[in-house]
Amino acid sequence: MNNFSAKKANPLQKFIFNLKKHSGLSIGIIILFAFALISLSPLFITYIEPNKMDLLARLSPPSSEHILGTDHLGRDVLSRFVAAVPVSLGAALFAMVVILAISLPWGLIAGIMGGRVDAIMMRMADIIMAFPTLIFALAIIGFMGASLEASIIGVAAAWWPSNARMIRALVLAAKEREFVRAARLAGASDLRIVFRHIMPQILPPLTVIISLETASVLLALSSLSFLGIGAQPPTPEWGAMLNEARPFFNQALHMLLVPGLAVTLAVLGLNLVGEGLRHLLDQREPYKW
Amino acid sequence: MVNALLVEGLSLHANGQLLLNNVSFELALGERKGLIGASGCGKSLTASAICGLLRPPLSIATGQIILDGRNILDFSKKEWRAVRGRHIFQIFQSPGTALTLAMRIGPQLIEAAEIAGVKNPKMTAIKALHDVELDENITEFFPYQLSGGMKQRVLIAMALILRPRILIADEPTTGLDVLTEYEILSSLNTMIEETGASLLFISHDLRVVRNVAQRTLVMHEGQILEETQVDMLMQSSYKHSKSLAKAAARLVHSC
Amino acid sequence: MIKYLLIRLASALPTLLGMTIVAFAIVSLAPGDPIEQELRAMGIVPTIEDLNALRAKYGLDKPFIYRYFDWMSRAVQFDFGTSIATGRTVINELKLHFPATFILAISALFGTILISLALGIAAVASNQNIASFLRALTVVLVSIPSFWLALILIYIFVFYFGWARLVGDGSLRDLILPVVTLSLGSGAALGRVVYERIRAEMCEDYVRLAIAKGVSPAKILLRHITPRIIGPLATAWTNALGALLGGAVIVESIFGWPGLGQLILQAISQRDFPIIQAYLVFMGLGFFVTSLIADIIVIITDPQLRRKNSHE
Ligand SMILES: Nc1ncnc2c1ncn2[C@@H]1O[C@H](COP(=O)(O)OP(=O)(O)OP(=O)(O)O)[C@@H](O)[C@H]1O
Ligand SMILES: [Mg+2]
Repeated sequence: MNNFSAKKANPLQKFIFNLKKHSGLSIGIIILFAFALISLSPLFITYIEPNKMDLLARLSPPSSEHILGTDHLGRDVLSRFVAAVPVSLGAALFAMVVILAISLPWGLIAGIMGGRVDAIMMRMADIIMAFPTLIFALAIIGFMGASLEASIIGVAAAWWPSNARMIRALVLAAKEREFVRAARLAGASDLRIVFRHIMPQILPPLTVIISLETASVLLALSSLSFLGIGAQPPTPEWGAMLNEARPFFNQALHMLLVPGLAVTLAVLGLNLVGEGLRHLLDQREPYKW
Repeated sequence: MVNALLVEGLSLHANGQLLLNNVSFELALGERKGLIGASGCGKSLTASAICGLLRPPLSIATGQIILDGRNILDFSKKEWRAVRGRHIFQIFQSPGTALTLAMRIGPQLIEAAEIAGVKNPKMTAIKALHDVELDENITEFFPYQLSGGMKQRVLIAMALILRPRILIADEPTTGLDVLTEYEILSSLNTMIEETGASLLFISHDLRVVRNVAQRTLVMHEGQILEETQVDMLMQSSYKHSKSLAKAAARLVHSC
Repeated sequence: MIKYLLIRLASALPTLLGMTIVAFAIVSLAPGDPIEQELRAMGIVPTIEDLNALRAKYGLDKPFIYRYFDWMSRAVQFDFGTSIATGRTVINELKLHFPATFILAISALFGTILISLALGIAAVASNQNIASFLRALTVVLVSIPSFWLALILIYIFVFYFGWARLVGDGSLRDLILPVVTLSLGSGAALGRVVYERIRAEMCEDYVRLAIAKGVSPAKILLRHITPRIIGPLATAWTNALGALLGGAVIVESIFGWPGLGQLILQAISQRDFPIIQAYLVFMGLGFFVTSLIADIIVIITDPQLRRKNSHE
């Protein structure tokens, strides 16, 4: 009669079961894993040099020689796509690291200190958040001159305040938990409370935020490259590749599809992982009506 | 005797854990029955199951719940909506969060009156508030402006308006002072007398149950141990029933 | 209520002040001397003496604070100098391009709100299979970069079907594709917010009571849940306006829509600082004001806050 008692599952089985239940998360992980493999693939496979022009083979459709065709300068689209993985994703990851380097201490300090320090720090973040993010990034790029570095700095400068706010909110929520209060009352030092009690609590939701924010940072950076004010030609970068494809995509659809799909899939992977993790963390179920 | 409600072999589980095991009991028309048991034994789960308000991961494994000769577990959403409120209603355990925060009390009661299909919803709402000894200007208040006991009485007023044939009251007095407890219980008694409803009164406190019901079910770890007269509990052959009775007696003495 | 409005406005002042400082600082701290840039742009290679003289003339040798107040006093009279590239006054350039961007952004905001409500409510109301399909669709829509979406829409509707044209004259018909491009992504993103919000509310006890009362789903949504989520949604929608203003730059550049986006991209490539600065100030201001309005909506719809304020 007790046929629904839990079977003892080992952790691996449990993990696989969870992945099945959370198909979005697993698809996301697979996509990101695939991009990691592709970025490493030049170590094992020799591609055509991504900047090698072949003006005789301009705009040629996919063939056995150029699996994904060539662009307007006769460069191999596949090898440019592969060479762009570390550039596009690397730029997004690097920007995210910069954003976290600012926002994590900012949010932690504001959240833990509270009071006037908190008020001032948040007011400073609010000032930057009062500008539309992409426009703030544009302004910074405008004064630095268009380059991939400038676009990373611009995006980081525009993105950190909202991150700092979210991190502060997580810290405040964590601070309210019983055992953190208890540790405080027991006289644990601030640093100890941060690393022993608060960090472990905010880490899971923070992973969600990082994943989703990296997706939006990647979108922003590739948009800027597309507008011609991020990565500059001939750097292989998805947004820049699309920008170069603009006059030609009516004749060579593959020039439109390859980099566009690349950005979409990468962003999708990050979003799926973020959403999936969020779902794992929030198990509340709604009432059925 | 005609059954208002019949629960048969109800088993319920969540994540592979058995939470209710073969629960069976019946509630006659106009009968008042207690359901007592230690905290976490599954009283609220039973109530939720009867009202069709379980949400994942909770799910019913076996059993049936018969209302008017029909098994409510087979109900469609529409059939459920027709039954809820007028036929069966529950006063939930957590009055603090039960009312809609962003709505004034008045509209929430009037909404119930509309569902009950009365002629003058507004008047009905005000009359119900008077019946539970609340001032009628409460209708202008938002839930956060009421005390816990007041909210609980608003819920009883809602039951008064809906006039369900079966009312489940899930620990309606927990967390209240003795005086308020007394007032709530007399409001509840008024309501039952006025509407002739059957009542399933859930509590972990025998003293409270004694005020509204003669008979009670005793629940322990998801199972119904027995059904007895409240006053006979001390003589029960089950040690859990006995300890509930003893605990109540101790509390009475220490007061 | 009016008193609260004033308090809210007063508390916004420091932020506003901070915004002007930031907008000003970006220029003054930017690498490269604007005067030198300007002269170079005119094809003049200045001597050190010339430069110093010009700096003194424009007050650039004065301390930061002094220059900031000087700039502010002109900015409040809408004097942002002249465009380095065109020689026209900055304010005239903005005036010329603003209406197109305004129409685009407002239409896109409208589209965003509609799409988000439709997607969110549909996902809540439909059965499990449709709901998971809608959620998947949402994630995909959110992940498609607007510039790629724009190009695909152009390929389909301009080149393939020939239903739309690329170089329009700014008529309403030419607005359709840009608005669709802008609102699909943000509508989907906000549809997720609508869905999550409603779902979160549906986990609350008060919904359980409403269900137990026998209230119909539509009424639960309208009467019980809507007042709780309309404030946060208003905030989310206005925040989306910020993203739409940014996205407008991309979309305008692709569809040749004659708005501020075109102007700013040109200004960035020509390093036309006065334009960039004024653009930042104006967009910041516009966004700031809408956020303020959203804040006020939040206050109005939250009974607890409303009560407090009317008692103050
Ligand atoms: N959503 C859920 N998921 C998993 N387990 C649950 C869930 N809800 C309740 N339980 C478990 O079911 C058991 C019975 O819960 P129930 O709420 O019915 O207790 P109770 O008898 O009403 O207790 P109390 O007197 O404290 O209200 C508890 O052990 C609880 O942990
Ligand atoms: Mg309970």
